Amino acid sequence: MSAVPAPTVLTGARASWLRIRAVARRHAYVLVRSPHRLFDVTLWPLVDVLLFGSLAVFVGDGDRTVGQQASGYLLAGIVLWHVIYQSQIALSTGLLEETWTRNLLNLMITPIREWEYVAGVALFGMAKLFFGLVVMTVGALAFFSFDITELGLGVLPVAFALLVVGWMISFLVMGLVLRFGTGAEAMAWGVMFVVMPLSGVFYPVESLPGLLQPIAHALPTTHAFAALRALVDGDAVPWDELGYAYGSAAVLLVLAMLFLLRMLSLFRTRGYVTRYS
Amino acid sequence: MRAPEIVLEARGLVKDYRRARAVDGVDLVVRAGERVALLGPNGAGKTTTLLMILGVVSPDAGTVSICGHPLATKRSLAAANVGFAAGYLPLAERMRVREYLRFYGQLYGVADPEPQIAAGLERFRIAHLADAMGTELSSGQRTLVGIVRATLHRPRVLVLDEPTASLDPDVAHRVRTGLEEISDADGTALLVTSHDMGEVTRLSERVVFLSLGRIIADGPPDEVARTYGHDDLESVFMHIAERHESVAAQQTDHPL
Repeated sequence: MSAVPAPTVLTGARASWLRIRAVARRHAYVLVRSPHRLFDVTLWPLVDVLLFGSLAVFVGDGDRTVGQQASGYLLAGIVLWHVIYQSQIALSTGLLEETWTRNLLNLMITPIREWEYVAGVALFGMAKLFFGLVVMTVGALAFFSFDITELGLGVLPVAFALLVVGWMISFLVMGLVLRFGTGAEAMAWGVMFVVMPLSGVFYPVESLPGLLQPIAHALPTTHAFAALRALVDGDAVPWDELGYAYGSAAVLLVLAMLFLLRMLSLFRTRGYVTRYS
Repeated sequence: MRAPEIVLEARGLVKDYRRARAVDGVDLVVRAGERVALLGPNGAGKTTTLLMILGVVSPDAGTVSICGHPLATKRSLAAANVGFAAGYLPLAERMRVREYLRFYGQLYGVADPEPQIAAGLERFRIAHLADAMGTELSSGQRTLVGIVRATLHRPRVLVLDEPTASLDPDVAHRVRTGLEEISDADGTALLVTSHDMGEVTRLSERVVFLSLGRIIADGPPDEVARTYGHDDLESVFMHIAERHESVAAQQTDHPL
């Protein structure tokens, strides 16, 4: 190896960007070489569009106004739900992939910083999310003549709030996986089924049993989806709802990051890495 | 003549696990180009010591510095100077060998790792595996790829946990020769654990024996053997292992 000149080793921001891209590319390899994982961005989004679009047609039952409103709530709801679902799953399964393949020790001995790893997986997750949303948008347009772009640019801040909530949930899941091992991976899939009904994705919170309404009101997702329904109704962007969604999402995100850092510290202190080597 | 610079400095390392103290006040200094073997029976604390040196397990007490960078506060800078390979570590699935090596080269900040990848694969005579999937490799081939991965960034310290365990003699020879070349050419310090005393004698100029988490011998192989009244390291190992087991058994039987 002495015949080969010493490698140019980057430092600072350029090294961080190189590592972030490397992590994103590594997960892209995993995705394209695992056909079943492509279902996440192709088949399942289409199935959801078909399911909720057909439900909207049935609920509308020939009434054009009711049908259009139901389509709007259900299809816009499910498309935006995929923002939170995909962003959460991409980050959580990013770490899980390293545990499944016993790659965690290999990664932890490199100079990569925790935030660089998370940024790399999040970058990959956003590419995956974009692909999945394109599939859903085209599916909704083709099958039900529902064009989500007609909701206007106001849908972007709603989507971003949901993206942040997805990351927040995945930080919690990652922390639990570091602490309890792969046994906690059920959380990665199951937590969304708890958040979904409480968030009023397809209906106002008032439709929930009274006991659950205070919990629902406290969730950022509830306010993001309330803002989405206002857009479907043709109202102006409800900044008050979005403001609450962003404020509570920011607080929860900070708490989730602190939890993850604490679990990582515990992971190092207790030597849990030996579970994966 | 001035002694080569210190590349690894561990002071007062202590690690307790629930059932016992795994490492009990280990001090270890390794200088540039030095070839050190960390030896001891199973349960002596070798792997825990290595994991603390690598920064994946936090010590309960003590400090580790790599090339002057304290691991506790500058982990990324410290880790950039270390490479690690172990026979038991798998390759990431769903990646070709070249992709896998490029990925790790980039994690170490190497802007263009291709020349290092080609040279590393050539050194260990596995250039033909560059486009193979990780899952297609034998355990010996995986070990060789793991060592190439650990040396892409030309680390100042190369840590190897049982690098030739369960390898056939030819591949084990390739590993030893390759490691010697790397150490000679780049002045890379080697810190190796092994249960093969023949290999240790051939590769190392200094041996450090651990028992019950403590360093009980540290010096050139011949000198350590003489201290214990033996002719070779194998006999020293047996001597230490016997004592280790008897003390460990007493500790387990202790009513407290």
